[in-house]
Amino acid sequence: MAVEIKIGDRVAWVNLLSQDGNLLEIDVDGKIYKVDLMHTADGTFSILEGGYSHNIELVPQPEAKKYTAYTLYQSYDIEVIDAEARYLMNRGGNGFGSGENSISSPMPGKVVKILVNEGDQVKEGETVIIISAMKMESEYKAPKDGVVKKINVKNDDTIEGNQILIELDLTIE
Amino acid sequence: MSQIKKILVANRGEIAIRIMRTCRELDIETVAVYSEADRTSLHVRYAHEAHYIGKAPSTDSYLNIDKIIAVAKNCNADAIHPGYGFLSENAEFAKRCNEEGIIFIGPTPDVIVQMGDKIQAREAMIGANIPVVPGTEGVIETEQEVLAVIKEIGLPIMIKASAGGGGKGMRLVQEESEVVSAVRAARSEALSSFGDDSVYIEKYITSPHHIEFQILADQHGNVVHLFERECSVQRRHQKMIEETPSPLMTPELRNEMGKSAVEAARAVNYVGAGTIEFLVDNDLNYYFLEMNTRLQVEHPITERVTGIDLVKQQIRVAEGHKLDFKQEELFQKGHSIECRIYAEDPDNNFMPSAGKVYKISEPLGLGVRTDGYVYEGYEIPIHYDPMISKLIVWGKTRDEAIRRMRRALYEYKITGVKTSIKILERVMNNANFIAGNYDTHFIEKNQQQLMSSEQRNDMNDMVIIAAYIDYLDKIGRTDENTKEFTAAQSRWKKIPYINHF
Repeated sequence: MAVEIKIGDRVAWVNLLSQDGNLLEIDVDGKIYKVDLMHTADGTFSILEGGYSHNIELVPQPEAKKYTAYTLYQSYDIEVIDAEARYLMNRGGNGFGSGENSISSPMPGKVVKILVNEGDQVKEGETVIIISAMKMESEYKAPKDGVVKKINVKNDDTIEGNQILIELDLTIE
Repeated sequence: MSQIKKILVANRGEIAIRIMRTCRELDIETVAVYSEADRTSLHVRYAHEAHYIGKAPSTDSYLNIDKIIAVAKNCNADAIHPGYGFLSENAEFAKRCNEEGIIFIGPTPDVIVQMGDKIQAREAMIGANIPVVPGTEGVIETEQEVLAVIKEIGLPIMIKASAGGGGKGMRLVQEESEVVSAVRAARSEALSSFGDDSVYIEKYITSPHHIEFQILADQHGNVVHLFERECSVQRRHQKMIEETPSPLMTPELRNEMGKSAVEAARAVNYVGAGTIEFLVDNDLNYYFLEMNTRLQVEHPITERVTGIDLVKQQIRVAEGHKLDFKQEELFQKGHSIECRIYAEDPDNNFMPSAGKVYKISEPLGLGVRTDGYVYEGYEIPIHYDPMISKLIVWGKTRDEAIRRMRRALYEYKITGVKTSIKILERVMNNANFIAGNYDTHFIEKNQQQLMSSEQRNDMNDMVIIAAYIDYLDKIGRTDENTKEFTAAQSRWKKIPYINHF
């Protein structure tokens, strides 16, 4: 899964091409790296690249997908911008296109709580479902006034990216 | 002669642990005291006993004389070691200890009072024929007096608070026209910092070196000095790096200054470990600056080159023993440097950076010592000094010591809080420092090299890869359908989490 990673002022595009155990082939902004990468669950990384040894420590920030990274000489602020992050960034207020009559999550995750039942009246901007992805909970809101037509998931369900979770009958003005 | 069996350490942080280490070696029981903010601090965990003494602000805890005395009496401590800072130079505290029959590991209350007042100290030194910086012999009252002094000793001059310390209540005067406002500013700062607005004047030494001598004195009139410490690398009048021997020193000057330091201690009947601070100018004239009647932060470099445990000597002297070495038996062997590691951001005007230490790995290997107190998961409290630790190295020569310090700083990794490690590395690579060519203006004079944060862009891509893999790893855990990446956490260290307090 390709994502963008913001490091300082630079935004890099990065993609995993192949994996053989700890041997990885990774594309960073068009440059292909073959690395031997080992890491611990709490963020200590040893990367061997072209015979050079890189020692990196990642410290997670309170916000999901944000890190401070430490190398021998530097520290960097890092943010992973994936589909969900971009989606949340672009959404603004309720940020849906007009006429949208469904609610979906751009990311795989888990349903934390559904706040409505089929047949309920919902107002524009009302939170209808809470999804957790990457330990971060996101509230998904009704794009327009309407009635809940169908709920395709239940609490604690694991969901796919872009799966339609809730369908609405929009109130026609 | 009394044998001390239990010591209460009226301090916190690295110095509390430093003192307790020696106590452990001497089979002396240790008692820690702690504030509300320090329940998880390492000195509490290291001690045999630990007792709560109050809320986080030091006035409620580490400066609370009644409470500390009460704890000491309750747990039958024979002695109190005050460390440095807090109550270490508080005559009232030393007096209370004496009254309660507890040994205060330090000098007598009278000496603390005498040396704590800069004007009294200056007068005592003039009486003992120790050179002092030219200036007024007492407090000055009017601007006219200042102008008269300027006629006598010339400009520039420094106006200083009599009760001062730590750079507060000090004003530099380079032009006569500045006198009125400088006196007013120094007075008002002195009043608000120390509750005493008396000020005096000293000639300002233009390119000063801050060189101090360690002394040790027993209760039987024996006084020795343990050579010098060069402490000129300072920022905002706070020491950053100390070394011994001083690159400025000559054997003749050392001999002369050492004798003066011993005379200074004798002049006030000093007992215990103390430090005589001198200013030395480029022509190697030296002047008494002040005396610190306690253990210094930078004492380990003296320990390293002389092989003498200063805390052990303090305890022995307090027990009434004679010093078991003479001046001629003391030598400086090799070269030692100390770097103070602060939780602060050198790229942001040295702003303190409190917070949780995520990971720490301390340097080890030949000739390396660290005196610290933080550990992984420890939250550095906002209430106290931001010093995390002291890194001390030893080398056969100054060059070897500098190289070793660079290597040790390279090994020192602390994440989660910002530290001064990077700027210390730059000092170790600074041509003037390497040449031993520096005075107390070193940081300002070398600002450009010391503040440049060289970006190494080649590492950027590896950092990006690390963040990417960590991200994929986390996604993998929440979604079993992501097959393209197998998480690596089981491949290396099998500790899925760190247990933090």
